[in-house]
Amino acid sequence: MPLTLSISILSFLVGIAVGFPLAFIRVYEKETSFLVDAYEKIFRGIPEIVLMLLFFFGLGPYFPFPFNNAFFVAVFVLGLRSGANQSQIYRGAIHGVGNEQMIAGMSIGLSKWRSIWHIMVPQVFTFSTPGLGSEYALLIKDSAYVYVIFALAEIMTRAVQIRTSPPYDAVTPFVLAALIYIALTFPIAFWLDKWGNKRKKKIGL
Amino acid sequence: MADLVMEAKHVYKTYGKSNKKADTSTALKTQVEAVKDVSLQIRKGDIKLIFGPSGSGKSTFLRCLAMLDIPDKGEIYLGDECLTKPGVDLNKARARIGFVFQHIYLFRHLTALGNVELALRQVLKLPKEEARKRALDALTEVKVTDCVNKYPAQLSGGQAQRVGIARALARNPDIILLDEPTSALDPELTGEVIDTLRDLAKEGTTMLIVSHEMPFAREVAEEMIFYDEGTIIETGPPLQFFNAPNTDRARKFMTRIINRTTREY
Repeated sequence: MPLTLSISILSFLVGIAVGFPLAFIRVYEKETSFLVDAYEKIFRGIPEIVLMLLFFFGLGPYFPFPFNNAFFVAVFVLGLRSGANQSQIYRGAIHGVGNEQMIAGMSIGLSKWRSIWHIMVPQVFTFSTPGLGSEYALLIKDSAYVYVIFALAEIMTRAVQIRTSPPYDAVTPFVLAALIYIALTFPIAFWLDKWGNKRKKKIGL
Repeated sequence: MADLVMEAKHVYKTYGKSNKKADTSTALKTQVEAVKDVSLQIRKGDIKLIFGPSGSGKSTFLRCLAMLDIPDKGEIYLGDECLTKPGVDLNKARARIGFVFQHIYLFRHLTALGNVELALRQVLKLPKEEARKRALDALTEVKVTDCVNKYPAQLSGGQAQRVGIARALARNPDIILLDEPTSALDPELTGEVIDTLRDLAKEGTTMLIVSHEMPFAREVAEEMIFYDEGTIIETGPPLQFFNAPNTDRARKFMTRIINRTTREY
């Protein structure tokens, strides 16, 4: 219980810290929004278990300070994944608040980013609450993955000791798995985006 | 020419050029020439009224004047500062232009007072006390005194629009642009907003108003501007329009509008 709660709460906070600014960048900084898009697709496209194993076994041996810690890796991965999800939630909320509020803000002499800060930010959270509730539930459930890392870590460490081979042998399968997942999720996400944009244009959104 | 507050020189604005930027109302049409070669001069203390069929581009032109829409071509001057030159601090310029929206667009998370105070605190950077005082003064001027601590959702349409006017007024702008300030309101609520505008007119506030409130126009406007299909068709004193417009289109429009007992959108 304490582990579940601390992982889910911490990763939720990381998610807010990452997702909130990303949502605004995605909506208001068209030039860089493709980077945000890529980030979201990667973290939503690869299963969190694969990401955790990748960071734990891939980076752990080289950067033992944070990455050799199962708890840290769980918060890190779930937080970034949640950031990708929350970015989408906030983006919907920004559209819900409406561009008119931005225009009104600029009409009184506020700059774009100050309008965002004084007018959009306080309203966006109110519009996001339903989505955030279900996102938190996801984190509670996914925090259980940390036990998988604990268990695997034990086994893998022993296996590595026995074979005395370098640790990246253990990593290659995870990298491959991640790539396969990306290949599976990307085309569908890409096609859905395209189709959605076309539809939106048709009905005048 | 020193008293020129705002000037538009050969302004053009077309919508739907790149499909991405098309806004909701015009997305269905491929290209809308909302503003075609429009020029206009407003002097200190002027009250001018723009009217014309809906969808003719009046609102877009008004937004161009406030640089809320950036014109494709042409120049906008605020005093002697050209706003359409690159590198101009538009935020500073917009702080000197009051804008009142048809659909009001009050900040929903702030009280009436908060709505008026925001620009005073964050744009003019006034100290708290002074900002509060000036905001309350502006709200008194539009006769909203009993609900300064209410949120926009708790206000009537007429109250909300008067708060909208106070928000534009409080920072003493050089000019106030009003985009159909009464046409989203119930008929019985338009009166109170019109009264507010009449008060402003008496005080010599410089205003450019898009409106179809003809009795009001006749009373306060020095000049009426008939706008259709993205351009100014006819300009003249109210009497010219009420008695005998020079152009056929203006005549037809006036007949239609005067024969209506209520407002025209």
